[in-house]
Amino acid sequence: MVLLSVEDLHVTFSHRGRRELRAVDGVSFQVEPGATVGLVGESGCGKSVTSLAIMGLLPPRGAHVKGAVRFDGEDLLQLPPAQLRALRGRELAMVFQDPQTSLNPVLTIGRQVTEVLERHRGLRGDEAKREAAALLDRVGIPDAGRRLKDYPHQLSGGMRQRVMIAIALACKPRLLIADEPTTALDVTIQAQILELLKELVADTGTALVMITHDLGVVAGLCDEVHVMYSGRIVESADRRGLFGAPRHPYTTGLLASVPRLDSPRGVPLRPIPGSPRDTLAWAEGCAFAPRCTRRVEACTTTAPDLVVDAVTRHPVRCYNPWPPGGEPVATSERKKRLT
Amino acid sequence: MRGLEVHFPIRKGVLLERPVGAVRAVDGVDLDVERGTTFGLVGESGCGKSTLGRAILRLVEPTAGTVRFDGIDVASLRPEPLRRLRARMQMVFQDPLSSLDPRQNVESILVEPLRTHRVATGKDARRRARELLDVVGLPAAAAARYPHEFSGGQRQRIGIARALALNPELIVADEPVSALDVSIQAQVVNLLEELQKEFGLTYLVIAHDLAVVRHISETIGVMYLGRIVEQAPSDELYATPRHPYTIALMSAVPIPDPEVEDRRERILLRGDLPSPANPPSGCRFHTRCPFRQPTRCHDEDPALRELGPGHAVACHWAEQVATGEIRPHPTAVPS
Repeated sequence: MVLLSVEDLHVTFSHRGRRELRAVDGVSFQVEPGATVGLVGESGCGKSVTSLAIMGLLPPRGAHVKGAVRFDGEDLLQLPPAQLRALRGRELAMVFQDPQTSLNPVLTIGRQVTEVLERHRGLRGDEAKREAAALLDRVGIPDAGRRLKDYPHQLSGGMRQRVMIAIALACKPRLLIADEPTTALDVTIQAQILELLKELVADTGTALVMITHDLGVVAGLCDEVHVMYSGRIVESADRRGLFGAPRHPYTTGLLASVPRLDSPRGVPLRPIPGSPRDTLAWAEGCAFAPRCTRRVEACTTTAPDLVVDAVTRHPVRCYNPWPPGGEPVATSERKKRLT
Repeated sequence: MRGLEVHFPIRKGVLLERPVGAVRAVDGVDLDVERGTTFGLVGESGCGKSTLGRAILRLVEPTAGTVRFDGIDVASLRPEPLRRLRARMQMVFQDPLSSLDPRQNVESILVEPLRTHRVATGKDARRRARELLDVVGLPAAAAARYPHEFSGGQRQRIGIARALALNPELIVADEPVSALDVSIQAQVVNLLEELQKEFGLTYLVIAHDLAVVRHISETIGVMYLGRIVEQAPSDELYATPRHPYTIALMSAVPIPDPEVEDRRERILLRGDLPSPANPPSGCRFHTRCPFRQPTRCHDEDPALRELGPGHAVACHWAEQVATGEIRPHPTAVPS
């Protein structure tokens, strides 16, 4: 039974007198209950807009959303606002990148947690406070009962993100979307938060959609990964398939261009030429074509479809993908050094 | 650098400000950077790494200690000789958009240091600007354009070109790639490496990303709360980290390979960075250390001591941690 099914999602932004901007261009993916799914890509690839569209958080004016977002079979895009509000926060929740701007600076964190409990679980007064303290304690905030009276600015970045997670999980939602939840944090704090998310997801059976630019985060966390480029999914696979046999030139390019902590010094990085900004003029063909080393003629005229690859059996959107193992990404030499 | 300290006074009071304490951003750092090599400085936000970089160029005044550049004591120089010396040491900043004047075109940005230091004017300066653009891989046409017209990676190239304008010997690069998209970071890292080979540059690279620092540095210094807690050749630091903080830091860096991720032992640090205005007693790391011992750690400040050639560690128990005699507290190791 599929929990969330995003079907052919399109999001375009229009602004008076300007050309329409396609932010998300036919994205489809599914999330099983309790699964962890990663959406990976660089800034501007449409991963955040996808998540906002799922949550129904895009501004009604200016953003045009097409397609379907079925949650438990029901299309969220067709739902009246009041019904969507009742679902949001209870069944679906979201954690944003910057807890500083997504927490209300003039309310205590206790109030911000109890607000959700009152709205969706009907708890009142001391009961709500006790539950809030228990939630904060659960996400690892020391001395949670006393912390209820603190304001967001009194907490560190990592603690604020824990509060956000507590709020998101207050109603034991069935789906949690985390949009770059650790990008603003230091590595040691990032490790704490990722560990916490992993634990909570395992305990509560919540499905997690993890949106990130960091391939390392995905490698350790996600059952299934979708790589996005310029509003489209270019490759989907389970994490072992994706990192073990990446096919799309963008995926391999990303993997080869990131310095790895475990790779020896002196191995030169192989960057992807150009920048994501080079893609706009090519809307007709494959968006990655101007930066692609494996470009063929067809790439610049019509965009390829997402086709299930015959060998690796995972979908790739490319006319000329790398043969499995063709681009040496995780070389055996690296593997040897690690063991 | 010897015994370098930078303290920022904390003042209170409205009309009559009086110092009530000090943020010890950099608190007794000794560090040598060999000519033609890259020294990488890593640490989390607030550890003092950027302040240290700025103190080298005397963009902030050191409170105590000396900085010697090619034998010259930077800290005691009078303004005019300091200005001349700065031509030989330049800085590349994290955010190229805020470190480039939005109202100056690229040519004017590149010509400015040449004029200020009276190296070249007029046509010569403009020719040099074109040369610099070529060196960093930008077309000559870029000269007439303004910073906002470029992408992040290109802007960082302009920042690097500006730093190169006066043929410096030392470049302090403060988070040169962290503001860039992943696919662009490698371009800038490679450019920095090529330039080093071509011009024999010496780099001090400051970054929070251990993987980037390990990739480009010969030597790495790990900072925690204003101190260097471990310093070692890059490969050695990765293979045999000795300080508990370094061990935890490395284990926290995600590696884009599920096979590796599933097998690694992760050591989690408890809590957050303590305030540098009021650092913990004894070893500064003891409040979060997963290997903390009941003695010495909380009351005795460990000195940075050499364990092997070029490998120095500030931990009382580094040997016992290395041999496995002291294991991390079980709470720090998630199952």
